[in-house]
Amino acid sequence: MQPTTNTPRILIIDDEEVVIDSCTQILKGSGYLVATAMDGTIGLRSVQDFHPDLVFVDLKMPGISGFEVLEKIQEIDATIVSIVITGFATIGSAVDAMKKGAYDFLPKPFTPDEFRMITRRGLERRKLVLETISLRREKELLREQFASIVSHELKAPLSAVQQNLFSLEYELSNALNEEQKEKIERVKVRIDELLKLINSWLRVISVDINKLKDGFKQIPITQPLSSALESMKPFAARKNIEITTAIADDLHPVTGDSISLSEVFVNIIGNAIKYSPENTRVLVKIEETKDSIRVSVKDSGIGISNDDLPHIFDGFYRGKSGQAMAGHGIGLAVSRQITEAHNGSITVESVLGKGTTFVVCLPYEKTGP
Amino acid sequence: MTKKLMMIDDDPDFVAGIKSILDTAGFEVDVAYNPKDGMKALETKQYDLLLLDIMMGRGAEGIMIARKLRKDAKLRELPVLIITGMREQIAFLFPGEPVHPRFVDVDELVEKPIEPRLLLEKVNSLIQTAEARKAGKK
Repeated sequence: MQPTTNTPRILIIDDEEVVIDSCTQILKGSGYLVATAMDGTIGLRSVQDFHPDLVFVDLKMPGISGFEVLEKIQEIDATIVSIVITGFATIGSAVDAMKKGAYDFLPKPFTPDEFRMITRRGLERRKLVLETISLRREKELLREQFASIVSHELKAPLSAVQQNLFSLEYELSNALNEEQKEKIERVKVRIDELLKLINSWLRVISVDINKLKDGFKQIPITQPLSSALESMKPFAARKNIEITTAIADDLHPVTGDSISLSEVFVNIIGNAIKYSPENTRVLVKIEETKDSIRVSVKDSGIGISNDDLPHIFDGFYRGKSGQAMAGHGIGLAVSRQITEAHNGSITVESVLGKGTTFVVCLPYEKTGP
Repeated sequence: MTKKLMMIDDDPDFVAGIKSILDTAGFEVDVAYNPKDGMKALETKQYDLLLLDIMMGRGAEGIMIARKLRKDAKLRELPVLIITGMREQIAFLFPGEPVHPRFVDVDELVEKPIEPRLLLEKVNSLIQTAEARKAGKK
């Protein structure tokens, strides 16, 4: 008979009949489903068929060892909680077992109360593990749903409005006087700002740090940097800003995601251009310290006041001091998220009226001599 | 000769904004508001270019259409310009990066809304490229 899914299932793997019998006896009448196995091989088969919530594993068994059983259980289903049963002489190995993923250990001999207690704790643990997973899934789902609502319900109508305005302006291009053209331009700019705002919200929602880490590779830092420099070129040219680079030779590769790192550089180089006066220079420098790659972007722009400095990475922060800061304060927040996912840091130094320097540090792995 | 364009998009207001630009510029534009009608039109009449939305109906049905076209012996050569509002989710782009249709085999991808100048530029160049390709084969 297929038991109901809500009844906790416990599997006991031990080669001593006495242990199996007494454990089964203790759990009788407590409402659990109990299965037993006399060795590791049968035990593992049982893990797959019986789908236990909690497994007791004897460390010392003939055939495959308790350690191996533990590892295999983890492979089959990492959410299963394992508890190691061990003789006093092997408490050292019980600690090793916990390092391999066992949740706890129970030294022999044990009293029925001790066994009941550790069973309850093990099952609590299992419940917690499952709840955490479903919460995480729920959060993920909410994020996706929100993103899709935002894009569909807000972006789509705004796009349609803007598109019709574009067509109106195009068709009337010869009939409009300067004042009318200005009006249309004003509407266009405001709608464009709204669309950009929605896009940056979507951006924050869709940065998933855990997913990002899955795609990490060894890359030269120059790869994301050059792609960022390339895409920022037209913006710099518009203000006649010269971007000079100083890149050290023989840089270590960093472990990371090129596209998102490039986004970080786009953000800080973009800021440097945005807040610099025309005909100035932005200096991009890459150096290597003893444990990290250090990328700095220095401008001679308007600078950031001491009041604002501590907040600029917070997201949705646009400056207290009333500077004309375009944008939504999201770029730097996203940049910090990305940099921290790379175990790196992003810092800023600034003097109001003199300029700002952003520094991104990314650790590299030391290999070879 | 007047170029014939097909547009498939489920947002009539957006379609109106695109169509009138193209009409004014001298194109002949047919419209379908769902993938089914769109495919039917593509199979019965010959077009020089398809303007295609991504998110229609229950999901990314525009991508389905694009894939179907690329497998179709007759419609394989039809240039496809994707016009979508879903850039972040489908193309995984970031600010400052030129738009690439890397997620599906189409000729170009632009984001809604699109400026008339850019729209006409894309449409004209895609048609020209397709014609040059055809001429080269003959």
